[in-house]
Amino acid sequence: MEKPAKITLEQWDARYAHLRAGGLVGPFYGGPLGRHLADGDRRLSKLRYDNSPAALRLWNFLLTEDDRLFAARQAGRKIVGVMKDLGTTAVMAMSLPDVTAFYPDGAWWIPCVMEHGSCVLEVADSMGLDESFCPVRAMLGAFANGEHFPRPDLLVCSAGAVCDDFSAVAQLVEHLGNPILWWEMPTRRHPAADEPAVRLPTGFLAPASQVAIVRGELGRVREALEELAGRELDDATLAAGIARANHARGVLDELRRLAYSAEPCPIPALEMLIAEMLIIHYCSDRDEAPAVLEELLAEARRRALAHVGPLPAGAARIFWVNPVADLRVMNLLEDCGGRLCGTELLFCHSLEAIPADCPPMEALARAALADPMVGPAQDRAERICADIGRFGAEAVVISRIPGASHCALEGGLIGGIIGKRLGLPVLEIEVPPLSDSMMPTLRTRLEAIVEVVKERRR
Amino acid sequence: MICAGIDAGSRAVKAVLLDSRSLATLGSSVLDQGVHQDRTAFAAIEQLLAPRGLSRRDVGWIVATGYARNIVEFADTTITEITCHACGVRHQMPSARTVIEIGGQDSKLLRLADDGRVRDFAMNDRCAAGTGRFLEMVAGKLEVPLGRLGELAARAANPAAISSMCVVFAETEIIGLLAGGACPEDIIAGVLGAIASRVAAMVGRHLEEPVAFTGGVAMVPGMDSALAGVLGRPVTVVNYPQMTGALGAAILAARSCGQPLV
Repeated sequence: MEKPAKITLEQWDARYAHLRAGGLVGPFYGGPLGRHLADGDRRLSKLRYDNSPAALRLWNFLLTEDDRLFAARQAGRKIVGVMKDLGTTAVMAMSLPDVTAFYPDGAWWIPCVMEHGSCVLEVADSMGLDESFCPVRAMLGAFANGEHFPRPDLLVCSAGAVCDDFSAVAQLVEHLGNPILWWEMPTRRHPAADEPAVRLPTGFLAPASQVAIVRGELGRVREALEELAGRELDDATLAAGIARANHARGVLDELRRLAYSAEPCPIPALEMLIAEMLIIHYCSDRDEAPAVLEELLAEARRRALAHVGPLPAGAARIFWVNPVADLRVMNLLEDCGGRLCGTELLFCHSLEAIPADCPPMEALARAALADPMVGPAQDRAERICADIGRFGAEAVVISRIPGASHCALEGGLIGGIIGKRLGLPVLEIEVPPLSDSMMPTLRTRLEAIVEVVKERRR
Repeated sequence: MICAGIDAGSRAVKAVLLDSRSLATLGSSVLDQGVHQDRTAFAAIEQLLAPRGLSRRDVGWIVATGYARNIVEFADTTITEITCHACGVRHQMPSARTVIEIGGQDSKLLRLADDGRVRDFAMNDRCAAGTGRFLEMVAGKLEVPLGRLGELAARAANPAAISSMCVVFAETEIIGLLAGGACPEDIIAGVLGAIASRVAAMVGRHLEEPVAFTGGVAMVPGMDSALAGVLGRPVTVVNYPQMTGALGAAILAARSCGQPLV
């Protein structure tokens, strides 16, 4: 086994040539990582990558999604944009054989990966969404310029208790001439004492009546998908789709368990971030995504068994809250002496198995209502505290998304609850899509939290 | 053995020379930060060594801190200013449970455990709001020496409301206030109060006493009382507040002397 390490893009290309000469057979979307730089993904040259073939496959899979989507369009497949609910409607859409689902929200990484070369934020600016809005406004620019994904045949988007910023962006997307099927997500509340309640996959408890509301709303999505596909999306088909989703989620769960608990850390933070994001919509390929995760899991197992990893042993164990708009910050955490030991990236409901002991639409409704963003911040904090215990994190970083109002509101509350309940140090930072100018100060904060952790160990 | 701490800040480089056994301060120096930050840091330590007939080789261990810490190539190791300020305050004021540090380009809040360890911290460094750079701009605009800000603020009859904490916009606001007839004393009092409010927001609702105040801005007379007023608690300026980070770095160097500290 090659010694695990983090390497540059240039080093990866040299390594790729070496691996190919040694007989590596890559997937159909494989190839040297450097070629994506030529596509305009300039940020890649500033990142450090895991040196395993499994990580190469993960990156190539991620960075070829637009090719897959345009190929799907060429092949006559129906394309559905599943917006905001982060994991449930993608499972429904991809249960249909001739439908490809993608996640337009993912466009929020375009400004980072292309280092503003795409101008999607500038387009959003010109349409009235300036930097006081969440970077997900990049999605508006992507819809406007049509370069990053084909125009979907159907767009579905949750609204209501989900992110207000996102709803505002999505409304402007609709005004561009992209009709959206909106479905309502109620604010999840705690059931009254005498009220029938349902335990959701994340462990939250919700009134059965709210699950019924979501079930009804998802029923409308189901009808729209059936109309689009020209075929029935029956319970058996949905159940099969759920089973496939649960398989992928199971693989990711085991990968997270290993990556966040083995010592030394077997898989770096950046690759884990990408792996977790994959579960939302499978990077538009529900067959390949689990295979990509399985290869990464196999690598993690090998390394954990051999007690090796790309990071030195003893790194400070950090639980990370919220996704970062700039991928480079995940590298920075490790440069500062930290490692990931658990995450809550706003979609923990998509990491959990969808219930298999109830009818599929009921199961999907429960999964959707488990979204950490649609309930009280207290629920989210409780879930984070439980996961911190599961992975043995020593400190928490809450990464605010600039312009995202939920982050400003929730960060302090969540940090306060964690501090009070677990007595762990909590650091709040803010990460814009390109954080280069803030790197010194981000470095200071992350180094400081690592110092605090190590001092606490003494 | 002799150890040293260097705090390479945004506005000044501070150095402290320490006897590693007694932790007695042997000397300290302050230089304005320059373009060649490594050279400035070296000059700061040279100022302490040369008069004593010493050289770099005679210093057992050097810890660099501050925003330019990684540029100080002759240091043995770097430690963040969070840890260094906590250590420096612990040395000077062991009872402190909260540290407010306002430097040239950022402000920090540290919460300390009973044993002096950092329990938690917060930083404001998105812009120059509530920092020494902000005060420099105000003093420059009003043509008043920094050292007189407190004295003038004490004479204010109606402290002005400063709404903008961005250096550029605040400058515009001050021009507007002057044009509207506000006197410099009222403007200065308004600025000190605004900075204190900014720091208080970082403190939040849970403030443990005693509160220590460090950093270059702690030397500005009147800033401590502005902070105390907003926080509703006494605030103690530590001795030589500008040197606290360098002192902490020197103490950590003394503790370390080659051993990994953290």
